[in-house]
Order: sequence, then C-alpha cells, then structure tokens
Amino acid sequence: MAIAENKKYGEEEKKTEPVRVRGLPFFPHFVLREVVVMCIVAGFLLILASVYPASLLKPADPFDTPSPIYPEWYFLYVFGFLKFWIYDVGPIPAKIIGVTLPMVLWYGLLILVPFIDRNPSTDIRTRKVAVTLGIIALLGVLYFTY
Amino acid sequence: MTLGDTIYKWIDERFKLRELLQPIIKHPAPENVISNPLYCLGGTAFLCFLILVITGIFLAMYYKPTPLEAYKSVEHIMTEVPMGSLIRSLHHWAANTMIAAVMLHMIRIYFMGAYKKPRELNWVVGIFLLLTTTTFGFSGYLLPWDQLAFWATKIGTGIAGSIPVVGGYISLILLGGNDIGAETLTRFFAIHVMILPIAIAVLLGLHFLMVRIQGISGRL
Repeated sequence: MAIAENKKYGEEEKKTEPVRVRGLPFFPHFVLREVVVMCIVAGFLLILASVYPASLLKPADPFDTPSPIYPEWYFLYVFGFLKFWIYDVGPIPAKIIGVTLPMVLWYGLLILVPFIDRNPSTDIRTRKVAVTLGIIALLGVLYFTY
Repeated sequence: MTLGDTIYKWIDERFKLRELLQPIIKHPAPENVISNPLYCLGGTAFLCFLILVITGIFLAMYYKPTPLEAYKSVEHIMTEVPMGSLIRSLHHWAANTMIAAVMLHMIRIYFMGAYKKPRELNWVVGIFLLLTTTTFGFSGYLLPWDQLAFWATKIGTGIAGSIPVVGGYISLILLGGNDIGAETLTRFFAIHVMILPIAIAVLLGLHFLMVRIQGISGRL
C-alpha cells in the first residue's frame, strides 16, 4: 500500500518539477526555518505571559451589570457594526441587519471568495479589482473594530 | 553502530521506515517560501495550537465547570498551583496570538491569490478553521466565570440569538435554557474541550493534507 503511494508521488514530482520555481528539500531546509520561527514565537509568548499575566476580575454576579462590557478584540467589529447600523430597511428592523450582516453574510462571502474571483492570475498587478475590494474589506473591519 | 542506528534499523526492517519517510523529507518546497517570513503565519498559528492543547490539558486538571467552583478553581490555579499562573497566562496569550496569526495568514492568502484553482476547497476549510478558532475563543471566555466573562457572554449569546430564523435555536443550544447558568457553563466547557478540539483536529488534518497534495502556492 505504502509502496504504491510512494511510486505515485515519485511520478508526480517528475512531472511537476520542471514547472516549479527553485525548490529545496522539505527536510532540513523548510523544517529548520519552521523550528527557528517556532522558537522565536514560543519565547515571545513566554515573555508576554510572564510580564502580562491573564487577568481575573471579580466573580460573576448576575445582578450587577459592570459598566464597560467588552468582548474579545476579534468580535469588536460585530459590536461596532451593530452600533453603526441604525437604519430599518423596509420591514426588516435595523438590529437584525446589524447582527446578520457582519456574521452570516460576511462569513458566507469569505467562503465564496475563490468561486467569485475567477481570475486565474496570482500576480498582484493583474488583480486590481480583487486587491481593491480586499483593502476596502480590511479597512471596513478595522473601522468597525475601532 | 550506535544505539540510535540499531533502533532505527530494527524498526526499518519491520515497517519500511525509509520508504515512508523519504518522499516526505525530499519533498521540495519553493525557495522563496523558505526565505519569505510572510509564509510563517500558518506555522505560527499551528505552534499556538500545540501550546494551547498542552496548557489546556493542564488547566483542565484543576478547573471545575460549575458556577460555584469555577471562579474559585481559576483563582486556585492563579495563586496556589505551582506554575499555574504561567500556564494560564500562556493559554491566554497563545489563544490571542493564534487568532491574530490565523487572520494574518488569511490576509496573506487573499492578497497573494493563493486560494485560486486548484486550492479553492482549502480556502473553504481555512474559513471553517477561522470560525472554529473564534468559537474556541468565545467559549473559553466564559469559563473563568468572572464579571467580564459572564456579561460578555450574555451579550454575545444575545447577538447570536437575534440572527433571523436560526438564532433562537443557537441561543437555546448554547445556553441550555433561557439564561446563563450552570447548564451554560457545562455546555461551554464541553464545547471548548470536547467538540471544538475534535473539529479543529479534523479540519487541520484536511488543511495540511491538501497543502501536501497540492503543494504551497509559491508565488510572490
């Protein structure tokens, strides 16, 4: 079983190798780079964890609402959008749109990206529309996060 | 012959280790992928995931998912358990870094157009990984059972509950009732330590398998 698979791989590599950009073997080159980066990140995390320990506030009290309640930073854009969108569209209330748009539609759109963008080029200069839309989406999320 | 060689030979004779490892070791990676630091983001997210698994297992040894005990057990971890504060802080920072790395990884894939044919499905799996990662964050936020955890979850589940059609069900499934309570805490705990780890393991397996089969899109 394993032998058959390896043979198949061997054939594939022969076919694709001339098309590839210059390649270096996965081990040790790629693995070494990965290990170096992982050591740096692990060290960085250790320093962060020692200098800024995770916080623990007062115990939960369902009868006492604290004044600034904020979610994790990666959900702030949903909050921001909910606050920003105050317009009813026809029979749909503003709150429903404010919730649905950044969660359901946004993720739906993200999933569909490769099927919407049919331009086969990966060169940034020939993908002006995709790049512009990407920058707008990025700035939009940043704006609502803020 | 050293001990290592002997052991390697013993296993190799029985499992044909050389034939298994050779294609993995020799598999070529594009040169610019190795030299460009932008290609580290996925690996960084994966390292954070590994740290989260290990620190998470240690936290689960001390954590008690009931409204009466949860806060006290986290306090116990922070003040009395040897290295407990470091383990929990590492869990906290690795979680935040993982989400940042996943997002930056996605931004890099987008602007380099690496999601294009034949890699469409790997992008879709990637979006599900982003969703899983943020759900991890959301479910983990409640577990310390402090004021911020409680009220942020109240608002978060409220927002999820006002999605049309499915919102009511999502809210009921998450809360296990009408309001946040003991049921919610055990549910979030089960989601955080049982359901999501299985989901992310499957998705990561698919993600890496597809990269392995299709190769890295090594274009600048």
